[in-house]
Amino acid sequence: MAANTLNDNVTMPASWRAKAPILAAVGFCSVLISLGLFHFGSSSENEATGFKMFYHSYLTNYVYCLSFCLGALFFVLVQHVVRAGWSASVRRVAELLAYTIPWWAALFLPIVAVVFSDHGTLYEWSKGAGKVEPIVELKLGYLNPSWFLLRAVVYFAIWCIAARIYFRMSREQDETGSTEITLKLQRWAGPFIIMFALALNFAAFDWIMSTDAAWYSTIFGVYIFASGMLSFFAVMILTCYLMQRSGRMQKYVNTEHFHDLAKWQFGFIVFWSYIAFSQFLLYWYANIPEETIWYKERLDLSTGWRPLGYLLIALHFAVPFLGTLPRAVRRNKAMMAGWAVFILIVHWLDMTFLVMPNVGPASAMMLIGHFVCWVGMVSIFLALFMFRVGETPMVATRDPWLPDALAYQQMPM
Amino acid sequence: MSDHKPEKKAKPPRAFGWVAEYADDNKLLEAARKVRDSGYSRTDAFTPFPVHGIDEALGIKATVLPWFTLCAGATGTCIALLMQWWMNAYDYPYIISGKPFSSWPAFIPVAFELTILFAAYTTVFAMLGLNGLPRFSNPMFTNPKFDRATDDRFFLWVDSRDKYFNTEKVKSLLESTGPISVDEVREDESSPVIPKAIFSVVFLLILISLIPGAIILRMRAARSDAPRWHVFFDMDFQPKKKPQQTTTLFADRRVQRPPVPGTIARGELDLADPYYLGYDPDKTAALEIADATRMVAFKLQDPAQDPAAQDPIPAAPAEPNYAWLTEAPIEATDELFALGKKKFETNCAVCHGFGGYGDGLVSQRAVNLAQGYWLQPTSMHEDRIQKQTIGRIYYTVANGKGKMAGYASSLTPRERWAVALYVRVLQRSQNARIEDVPEPRRAEFSSN
Repeated sequence: MAANTLNDNVTMPASWRAKAPILAAVGFCSVLISLGLFHFGSSSENEATGFKMFYHSYLTNYVYCLSFCLGALFFVLVQHVVRAGWSASVRRVAELLAYTIPWWAALFLPIVAVVFSDHGTLYEWSKGAGKVEPIVELKLGYLNPSWFLLRAVVYFAIWCIAARIYFRMSREQDETGSTEITLKLQRWAGPFIIMFALALNFAAFDWIMSTDAAWYSTIFGVYIFASGMLSFFAVMILTCYLMQRSGRMQKYVNTEHFHDLAKWQFGFIVFWSYIAFSQFLLYWYANIPEETIWYKERLDLSTGWRPLGYLLIALHFAVPFLGTLPRAVRRNKAMMAGWAVFILIVHWLDMTFLVMPNVGPASAMMLIGHFVCWVGMVSIFLALFMFRVGETPMVATRDPWLPDALAYQQMPM
Repeated sequence: MSDHKPEKKAKPPRAFGWVAEYADDNKLLEAARKVRDSGYSRTDAFTPFPVHGIDEALGIKATVLPWFTLCAGATGTCIALLMQWWMNAYDYPYIISGKPFSSWPAFIPVAFELTILFAAYTTVFAMLGLNGLPRFSNPMFTNPKFDRATDDRFFLWVDSRDKYFNTEKVKSLLESTGPISVDEVREDESSPVIPKAIFSVVFLLILISLIPGAIILRMRAARSDAPRWHVFFDMDFQPKKKPQQTTTLFADRRVQRPPVPGTIARGELDLADPYYLGYDPDKTAALEIADATRMVAFKLQDPAQDPAAQDPIPAAPAEPNYAWLTEAPIEATDELFALGKKKFETNCAVCHGFGGYGDGLVSQRAVNLAQGYWLQPTSMHEDRIQKQTIGRIYYTVANGKGKMAGYASSLTPRERWAVALYVRVLQRSQNARIEDVPEPRRAEFSSN
């Protein structure tokens, strides 16, 4: 397909979509390989450690991929609730990302299975009454497999319904061009945001924070939200860049939109850093053992996770902050695509830092298996996204806000 | 001679170029581009709302303001971190919440705030400065048409101070862009002289502003019997106990709680550890110390009355009755023995003699001089000294007794314990019994 400048082709290249089944296969195989690596590489006495490492790795990478989709959903909702015009040309990408959530719900099943297995492989509390420490025992009214499953169903229901409504109605608008649809979506966005926020917050508690059931942090949901949004914007920038390089979406997405997405990404770098540091500072200052234990496991020299912690300060805050600070960088599509890749890697390190130290001290085998699992899940993510996109136009060409988006200009400096 | 003062010739008001008036922003943009392309750069546009693309149309370059912000923000960060380090870790080291003196996590919030503060203030003032503000007069306002600049008219101005300015050329250029009107920009005709009244008012305000400062200075210098003003009554009189007050909450009626036994202040181990003291301070605190009892009795006496008629002060004790250590808190090794011997012979033998009999060279010399005041140094082998515990001997080595000075400044605690143990060695050597001799060698010491 000839890529003439500013053509209005907005579909995903067929060559990409052809790779989707391969990516899916590679993905699933990689995940299984990582299971094998964990199993045979785990040096300890019992097999359980291998499975434990695998499930923690699976959870980490699952949340990593799901965070893009959840960030996408939030982006769509917010753009509607504030009646934004500039994002009309890029919003469809986010809608498509969000609409993969139902398939991710299916991929949540292994986690549900291990929770019901009672062995405490992933979550200590799943062992049940009498087998956990007293403080976790008190939380078993909330942290038990049945309620866990029910809540997960509710979270996915909220997200899937929201994603489906926003995608389907946006797609319908492609055919009819009706402004009523936009008005409806704007009206419902507010309530959906509230439900989304509650679901995300408690999902963060249930799925990630409960890996260390004795510990808690009330800001944890916000932390996951911040890191999810950050990574979503990185995915967005990267997707738009790659599409444009293949000659798609050129008419509708220009430097101004990239600049705005880059600004969002920059803002969330700062926001993530703020939240991450707030959590740390308060626990450090109060110095209450019940709260500092989580940080001690991650920053003590003996467990080997401290380098990762310091790396995050440098790579998740300092470097991308200073790197994407200049306006010129944010208006450069290629550079922002590079930074997007950087952010995505660092986001994975962040998720790793949250979950993996719960398994035990850092070890090469664990990290290799974890990396292979990451490759697998990212392949699955790409495959699912491509399956979902299919032939769908990746720009909402009859959105009433589109002229605003095309005329959008940043304030000159 | 005429007393008709010659009239001062009025200076014609200065001209500042031409301004063109338009009814819509697109015309303005076109005109601006034309003016820019003709090479004029000292231009400006005045519009009721921000017009997209006007900066480019006028050829305005990117501003340097972001650099001000960046440098100011970075300065703020550095100043904040340096200030906190200096204050809390160097100048007045202060323990807050048990954290290290130089605790970087705690420094971050202030650093964040100062970054924002410096960056924001600098941005505002630099922006005003770069715009040449505040300005007391702008020739634009002379023309009443200009009032509509905030309403529904758009104005394009070419400054006469532009490098390439030429009155006719600029006028005809502006007219060719199809404006509603083109006018010359003239300075206001009013006098630029500041009215005298303003000086008086400013002077008065400065005087008034000095009053609070003067009041404060006076109050600091003067004495007053009047009670303090309490503006914030419940801040000044808080429902809490202060140190040194009494209370009914605790049995000993003190507000201050004694530290938990064994508490040692930071950096003051040598005030609390028996290794440094020679006695156990916690156990000593539980004893009735004669010196303390004397002091209390002395204080309880009424200085106005005859001391003989009041409760007598107990006699000074011959020996301080502390809880001396009975065993040296250090392992006695050959190396320690050598150290103790060396230190004793260096520091102590001078007076006490190599054998510890109090017959050192100094003492011999003093006795030869036959001055009446000389008190012979104590012999280690006196019964009294034999009965002293090792902790007491350590204490004497460190702090002295009577004429003897303390040797704490010459000997480290370890050396002091070594000397004390060597004293024991000397005592044992001069007061041994036959049982102390190993079996095989006892025969050498038989009485016959």
